Amino acid sequence: MSDLDVHLAAIAAGDAGAYARWMAGAEPVLRAGLRRFAAHVDTEAVLQETLLRVWQVAPRFVSDGRPDGLVRLGHRIARNLAISELRKRGGQPPEALPSATIDPRPPDPMLRGVIEGCREKLPAKPAQALDARLQSGGLDPDDVLAERLGMKKNTFLQNFTRARALLAACLERHGVDLDAELA
Amino acid sequence: MSENKNTPEDEARLIEEVASAWRPHDSSELRFHPAWHDLDESAREAAFDIAARLRPMEAALDPGGLSTTARAVLARIRSAR
Repeated sequence: MSDLDVHLAAIAAGDAGAYARWMAGAEPVLRAGLRRFAAHVDTEAVLQETLLRVWQVAPRFVSDGRPDGLVRLGHRIARNLAISELRKRGGQPPEALPSATIDPRPPDPMLRGVIEGCREKLPAKPAQALDARLQSGGLDPDDVLAERLGMKKNTFLQNFTRARALLAACLERHGVDLDAELA
Repeated sequence: MSENKNTPEDEARLIEEVASAWRPHDSSELRFHPAWHDLDESAREAAFDIAARLRPMEAALDPGGLSTTARAVLARIRSAR
């Protein structure tokens, strides 16, 4: 178990690079905590807003001495945002709200080594679609990415789906179990 | 509950779109992906599960170890300065 609060002092001082390192560890656990809301709110939008708000409040955050205090704060912000968005749309929060396990883990170094090799084996069009999404970094919608590649959006999405499936199959052949990574 | 009127092919494409990290931005309110509204509940959960499996792969392919979600947030933080 790692304590992502090691980045807290630098984050509070406004170091966006330190916040990036914190996000790398915190994102999966915050996302997992939103799973129960996925049918009712856009959890990706909620997660990104949560990560922005954590950055904004971090300079005023006071640790209680337990590990991963900023992750626990993020978890509360995410849950409250999800409930707020759900209520705006006339929904009710799920009745059972079990506490999410908060145990951020560092990325698996094996995954990085294997996935580069898998990407190199992708056919050209799926590789282009994957690279377009990666290079954009979430800043452009798929119709813009498709146009840049001279593809129709549907073709782009089909190619991306194929890239994703081929990468997952390749990782599995190399013994990387993504479900275990996410568990 | 939302009603699904999509063909399986349309639904698969909409799920893939919603699983991306791109979201419209509005400083005054949180905005959902437009395609999210066209999905029924099970399809929305499918999009969540795809994103949850995709982001670690993106992070592993990124020199900085960041998913497209984290990079989108970082871009907004840096653009606000």
